[in-house]
Amino acid sequence: METCLPAVPSGRPAAGGRGARGRAVPPARAARHGDGGERAARMHPATAGTPRLPLPLPAAPGTELQAFRDYGESWYRSRKGLESRFQPREPLARQPQVTAEARCKLVSWLIPVHRHFGLSFEALCLTVNTLDRFLATTPVAADCFQLLGVTALLIASKQVEVHPPSVKELLALCCGAFSVQQLRNLECIVLLRLGFDLSAPTISFFLEHFSQVRLQAQGADAAEAADARILAGGIAELSLADYAFIGYTPSLLAAGSLGLADRLLGHRCPLDLRISGYPEELLRDCMEQLQLLVSLNGQSLPLLLPPEVVQKCPWLRGGR
Amino acid sequence: MKKFKRRLSLTLRGSQTIDESLSELAEQMTIEENSSKDNEPIVKNGRPPTSHSMHSFLHQYTGSFKKPPLRRPHSVIGGSLGSFMAMPRNGSRLDIVHENLKMGSDGESDQASGTSSDEVQSPTGVCLRNRIHRRISMEDLNKRLSLPADIRIPDGYLEKLQINSPPFDQPMSRRSRRASLSEIGFGKMETYIKLEKLGEGTYATVYKGRSKLTENLVALKEIRLEHEEGAPCTAIREVSLLKDLKHANIVTLHDIVHTDKSLTLVFEYLDKDLKQYMDDCGNIMSMHNVKLFLYQILRGLAYCHRRKVLHRDLKPQNLLINEKGELKLADFGLARAKSVPTKTYSNEVVTLWYRPPDVLLGSSEYSTQIDMWGVGCIFFEMASGRPLFPGSTVEDELHLIFRLLGTPCQETWPGISSTDEFRNYNFPKYKPQPLINHAPRLDTEGIELIAKFLQYESKKRISAEEAMKHAYFRSLGTRIHTLPESVSIFSLKEIQLQKDPGFRNSAYPETGHGKNRRQSMLF
Repeated sequence: METCLPAVPSGRPAAGGRGARGRAVPPARAARHGDGGERAARMHPATAGTPRLPLPLPAAPGTELQAFRDYGESWYRSRKGLESRFQPREPLARQPQVTAEARCKLVSWLIPVHRHFGLSFEALCLTVNTLDRFLATTPVAADCFQLLGVTALLIASKQVEVHPPSVKELLALCCGAFSVQQLRNLECIVLLRLGFDLSAPTISFFLEHFSQVRLQAQGADAAEAADARILAGGIAELSLADYAFIGYTPSLLAAGSLGLADRLLGHRCPLDLRISGYPEELLRDCMEQLQLLVSLNGQSLPLLLPPEVVQKCPWLRGGR
Repeated sequence: MKKFKRRLSLTLRGSQTIDESLSELAEQMTIEENSSKDNEPIVKNGRPPTSHSMHSFLHQYTGSFKKPPLRRPHSVIGGSLGSFMAMPRNGSRLDIVHENLKMGSDGESDQASGTSSDEVQSPTGVCLRNRIHRRISMEDLNKRLSLPADIRIPDGYLEKLQINSPPFDQPMSRRSRRASLSEIGFGKMETYIKLEKLGEGTYATVYKGRSKLTENLVALKEIRLEHEEGAPCTAIREVSLLKDLKHANIVTLHDIVHTDKSLTLVFEYLDKDLKQYMDDCGNIMSMHNVKLFLYQILRGLAYCHRRKVLHRDLKPQNLLINEKGELKLADFGLARAKSVPTKTYSNEVVTLWYRPPDVLLGSSEYSTQIDMWGVGCIFFEMASGRPLFPGSTVEDELHLIFRLLGTPCQETWPGISSTDEFRNYNFPKYKPQPLINHAPRLDTEGIELIAKFLQYESKKRISAEEAMKHAYFRSLGTRIHTLPESVSIFSLKEIQLQKDPGFRNSAYPETGHGKNRRQSMLF
């Protein structure tokens, strides 16, 4: 019974170092299954020797900021301009087998998987976008759906990550249900079907942008901005899995998530959502939907966040 | 097991009761196999239909990290996803047989999975129509995975159901799915004639070619896809980025042709790269042309940077030039990755000469400024006729940089003295030397500009956008700043290429350069 289960993150010991990079990984993530570990280690001989990156120079403070000052506005305009082109159009409308529920489960699975590999939120956003836009073009069989999920993850990682997970690692997470050849074929099909249009604007980008704008403002509260950014990231991650948000653009979801995060954290100087350029009622609707989503996931959201942020949010603390 | 089979086929015949029977059956199995401690469903039912989100699924899943593994691992992630996909919608779909084979939840099916799902005649998605909606809990689904692998649905059963199903909901057979997936819009390879090989690398071979449609020369970059890891990252990045970059100073991607086992990128053809251009004029370029080339590099780069696309691998071999003097940025394979490798997968050394010191010291936190250092190096090389920092190793490269610009200290590069990487090298403390001594042909403005590119602290480096407005370019006039993106600077009559003093008029030996040419396009 043990052998072939998609024991997603059951311990890949080697991933520890990578998982710790970048975004904060809640302790819940770090704890791995004891029993799975041994098996996984056996399954992934290759990963044991994952080369360690040289210790980076301490983040040059102001590098990002300087680039933002130079180009922030044009980055925003160019990404915003690409939104409609990359917005998935009713991806499930013509799917005979894939349901919203199945999509939710797949994305809910991809979330811990992407963390497990230490991938960025950007990569996750791109994964889901690729997945949805492919679904909009091609009927996918239920039994290929998971394969499509890992394929999209692979493509997204190749775009933005230094160390994309290997094909072997990804397939092991599917418990050998699929072959290398199947994954490579599907990758090719996805790339061609989407005509290599892969650089979609992401929620991750807009979260970063709005947070930077907020920091530029007079009397900005850097601590509040950072906390809101993190909590909003968690909320946005949840929204990826929910098909109800399929019609919302990434910039709207980013603004809504930040607005909701400020509200949940009781911030004194919340982000001025008007900078998103969306009409108030649209923002309000988006925030209401997100609030509903958050309340439905009151118990899982804290697991996506670092504990110190959870501590600052009375609502989440209570829900735990 | 026989009992189950009989039971299942019975259930299948009496479709009215299949759901109940299946759960019941599954339950029996679990008991018999004696493997379960966990009867908790992964997804709780009765959720509001508005939100299909993580809900309890994620909760259960993440929760399982916290708790010691009381449950079987597969229940953690909910069996295999494939099995979830059989979630019923308006009918109960009995996906079990096929799924079971694929997912191989136990030893028996493990063997079966070796037979490859493609060969399994698909009983996928058997629909039971007109049944009242009933959700199968994850519990049921998990248990389904425990069903033996060799169940066969009676012949004819599928067909009968499919006839009765409305077309929309009809599950696809393997074959029709494959057909639906494979009818892909290919570019046509017949459109292009390969003329000669320009170079070969690990992932790609580049040919000079001609388009039959336009009669224009093209560069055909043929990328092999038969790698363990599938399509190379560089190809994915390059194509996806170039498709969105349309600019007079960026190489144009005309077409993408997918042939068996390879992907061919069809680029516009440019005669040479900057390295070759410099070679051909004996490394003595007209200073006016240096200015025009630098301006075009900055113009292309500013366009990329405005879109948050970083090049990350600027070097003379990546700057292509045609006979009009139009310069275009090429090879975006490294763009957008977070670090720049020092070696390719095949262990070929990637040049370090144009790499900024912060990156050489291991920084991975950078932005658009990463490209500006290299621009400075290239600018110097054009003006002086020799590479600025031709290091062979990381240490050598840093050493060359520090010897010219001075070994950095806390004052000249805040934070540097606390960097292990830097301290470990223990470089001698060099004083900065005047750049003008090394590039005597550059005027004051040029020296001033080059110093702005070669800043240790990346945030202090001048941006491409700013650099274009620098006094050094004043002699080019003002109209150059207002050109539309897709228009070449040579469309202005005041902008003209001059004859390079060192240019050898004899036709340069095409073949002699063949090896090194377009090396840049190969990785």
